[in-house]
Amino acid sequence: MSTIMLVDDSATILLSISSILTKAGYTVEKAPNAEEALKKFNNGTRVDLLITDLNMPGMNGIELIREVRTLPSYKFMPILFLTTESQQARKMEAKAAGASGWIVKPATADELLNTIKLVLR
Amino acid sequence: MTTTQTLCLAKDMTIYNALDQKQELLDALSSSDDVELDLSQVGEIDTAGLQLLILMKKEAQRAGKRVVIVAHSQPVRSLIDFCNLAADLGDPLVIPASEAN
Amino acid sequence: MDELTNVYIQESREQLAEMEAGLLRLEQNPEDGDNIDAIFRAAHTIKGGSGVIECAFIEQFTHRVENILDALRNGEASVSGALATLLLECCDHMGRLIDVLAAQQPEPEAQLVEHGNALTRRLQVFLDQTAGTAAGSANLTVQEDEGTVESSGGGVVDTDAWHISIRFGPNVLRGGTDPLSFIRFLGSLGEIIGIETIADAIPSAEEMDPESCYLGFEIRLQTKSSKSDIERIFDFVREDCDLRILSPQSKVSDYVRLIQELPEDTLRLGEMLVRCGALTQTEIDQGLRDQKQTTEVSGEETPPPLGEILVGNKVVHPEIVEAAVTRQTQVVEKKAREAQLVRVHADKLDQLIDLIGELVIAGASANLLALKSRNGELVEATSVLSRLVESIRDSALQLRMVQIGDTFTRFNRVVRDVSKDLGKEIELAISGADTELDKSVVEKIGDPLMHLVRNSLDHGIEPVEQRLARGKPACGRVSLNAFHDSGSIVIQVSDDGGGLNREKIRAKAIERELIQPTDSLSDAEVINLIFEPGFSTVDQVSKLSGRGVGMDVVRRNIQALRGTVEVTSAEGQGTTFTIRLPLTLAIIDGFLVGVGKASYVIPLDAVVECIEHKNLAGDRNFLNLRGEALPFIRLRELFEVEGSPPARESIVVVQFGGQRAGIVVDQLMGEFQTVIKPLGRLFSNLRGISGSTILGSGEVALILDVAALVNIVTRSEEEHLLPNRNSASPQLAYTGNSTFVSSGR
Repeated sequence: MSTIMLVDDSATILLSISSILTKAGYTVEKAPNAEEALKKFNNGTRVDLLITDLNMPGMNGIELIREVRTLPSYKFMPILFLTTESQQARKMEAKAAGASGWIVKPATADELLNTIKLVLR
Repeated sequence: MTTTQTLCLAKDMTIYNALDQKQELLDALSSSDDVELDLSQVGEIDTAGLQLLILMKKEAQRAGKRVVIVAHSQPVRSLIDFCNLAADLGDPLVIPASEAN
Repeated sequence: MDELTNVYIQESREQLAEMEAGLLRLEQNPEDGDNIDAIFRAAHTIKGGSGVIECAFIEQFTHRVENILDALRNGEASVSGALATLLLECCDHMGRLIDVLAAQQPEPEAQLVEHGNALTRRLQVFLDQTAGTAAGSANLTVQEDEGTVESSGGGVVDTDAWHISIRFGPNVLRGGTDPLSFIRFLGSLGEIIGIETIADAIPSAEEMDPESCYLGFEIRLQTKSSKSDIERIFDFVREDCDLRILSPQSKVSDYVRLIQELPEDTLRLGEMLVRCGALTQTEIDQGLRDQKQTTEVSGEETPPPLGEILVGNKVVHPEIVEAAVTRQTQVVEKKAREAQLVRVHADKLDQLIDLIGELVIAGASANLLALKSRNGELVEATSVLSRLVESIRDSALQLRMVQIGDTFTRFNRVVRDVSKDLGKEIELAISGADTELDKSVVEKIGDPLMHLVRNSLDHGIEPVEQRLARGKPACGRVSLNAFHDSGSIVIQVSDDGGGLNREKIRAKAIERELIQPTDSLSDAEVINLIFEPGFSTVDQVSKLSGRGVGMDVVRRNIQALRGTVEVTSAEGQGTTFTIRLPLTLAIIDGFLVGVGKASYVIPLDAVVECIEHKNLAGDRNFLNLRGEALPFIRLRELFEVEGSPPARESIVVVQFGGQRAGIVVDQLMGEFQTVIKPLGRLFSNLRGISGSTILGSGEVALILDVAALVNIVTRSEEEHLLPNRNSASPQLAYTGNSTFVSSGR
């Protein structure tokens, strides 16, 4: 089954999303910030999908997406970001940075899993 | 130069390998008039891979050459079926798809 | 309570602290965008989590706070003192709401709800002020106008399926999406009854970029879903593809229009539509003919050649703003550190420390047995073991070490609020925030610190006029500082205020009969009298410090942590309280000594050296150690141990707070790791003993309280020098420079 890297500075979000994903049978790699996630990517961790928050202290989600896209093994990996309805400009920015799509918070488990199914290769 | 060349693609036909495979496929086509593609080892195929297969067919048609897919792995077959491209890419047996058109 | 809620509560409290810290910074630097972002993010995280755990009352309130913060962030509202104060109150309210959640109450009480409503109303006032500007910026992004397909006559196509026509843009693959997965996903909405792959756009081999997408699809989809459901699937590539959806009720003319708008050859496309089942050949022929006629009849220009009609790019791409890279170094570093953290329940950690305590004792016991056995290999093995146990102990204790920073930063708020109340201008300076100490100590130091800080705010810093008159800056400064010093942590609370008035203290002490008018006390001793029970120098008790809790309580609390507190002060320049605490309360390296049959443990970090001494003079209690006078005390006498001392006694030289003293014992038994077991209540008043431990042999050994012993020793020396003094305050900690013992090492 696919491995999903989940990056969010909110422990609550990390826990809730990862429990949904784990229940659905995915393997979940969690990272509380972009730096940590990037480290895992640099270590060659197998990841089939990246889900990241945009608004994080330190390196933000958009920078993370940009960085990950420069790594050959993840050049075409689907990347979803977590966003809210109000962040239209951020959405565009994230897309331009290389994101594949987004998940609007708060999302139900179905919405989440459907979106993942939609983009997962 | 009518010798049949069989090209067996060992890697997944995904976008990660698309650049290399495009070269590999075109090299085969330029060195032979009759290319047989063995896709039985292809574990995964995506849009990029599908495009390459279509490209091969088109190029062959343009150059008056022949490209036949002689073996499909399950993922390749199901994608071709899904896209309703069996007439073009599906037949591993006698009739080359380009002539059938 | 479930784990998720627990995590949420803990996280929210952390975020709330961040938010509060940010709001306090906000007043200083209203223009700091990074800071506003951080505040917003904290509120946003709290709100987001509340949605996840479905806690409506937190979500609702926090949402309103978030709104105003969002307005601040977007520059629609500006920072004012009133707004900052209001937001801080909101912070407090959120904290209380979290408390409600933590207490597992379903709803906050009516009073709290009303308070929340009042805050909301006040927030609304600020929001209303920004409403005008907010509306203007809400619509920055232009949504795609759903192209309405005009009906131009013709029969309805006899089908109940949707027709989806999509051409993917070249960059779709580079965005990490596979168009085929979208098409496959369509299947989850219903049944794909026909599909044609359009590969016409694939260029010749040389031009073809294998990482670009050239494909398109004509799809027949039978589904009960709505148009928007179908559209939503292509949301992620909407800007990068040409999507047309015809409803099941579409007319032939709609299809004709579709065919003409698409770049492919009309006939070929028509064929495709027939193949995928959208239309019959007759329908399409008829449709195309009709279309031709209408254009000819009306005499208008013929439709542009097919293939030249470019895909109408109806989407206004909002400018992608290359946002400047925001840097928030402070927060970054902290977060980066937090990133390495694993949350562990404190109980588990305590249990581990307990177990390790037992392990240390068991290890010591095995060590003793091994030594007795004189079996070289066994000794070797146990010594390896004890080294390992030592490392485990150190690592385990390290686990409980936390930085004092969070404790310090909490005082930002206190200083802000109190200084406003008092009408003083006071800033808080923090240093040594990364100094680590045991969590159990940190938990208990908050109250004493609070008292000292409030004391400085209230009594220390003078009113502005007075400060200016003294040539000081109008803004007073209270500093919190922490550092490590030989096995202890030192925490200082200082202010640049008026300092302590010695005469006043002295007079008050005499009035309270703490000392006699005839007593001659050094300056340091006088000001340390403020730690005596029932002492207060302020004529008018203010509402802040005058809570009936005096400095004596502060000292008692600190002593309970095996710590000391002392004060130094320069009149007119300020006061510094220095708290000295052990790094951990659990385990110490001890030095085992024996007196008679009893064993005692001296904390090793207090031991300077050991001297063997013959025929120690019985009547004097100081000796000449390399030219310096070293006062000493006999444990045998102090604890009234039976029996007579051996001919050769040993003196352990200990140091505490810059003073040295000797402890006379019968024999030295070597270094010993020991777990401190607190003394029972019965022994809590025992002077000179700070705890007990169990030796490997099973015997109990008392742990000496070096601080107390040094005090006893040095004081008894002073009594010799100052025979007039009445020793009315036996527990006073004298650590000033007034004794004659040299404090240098």
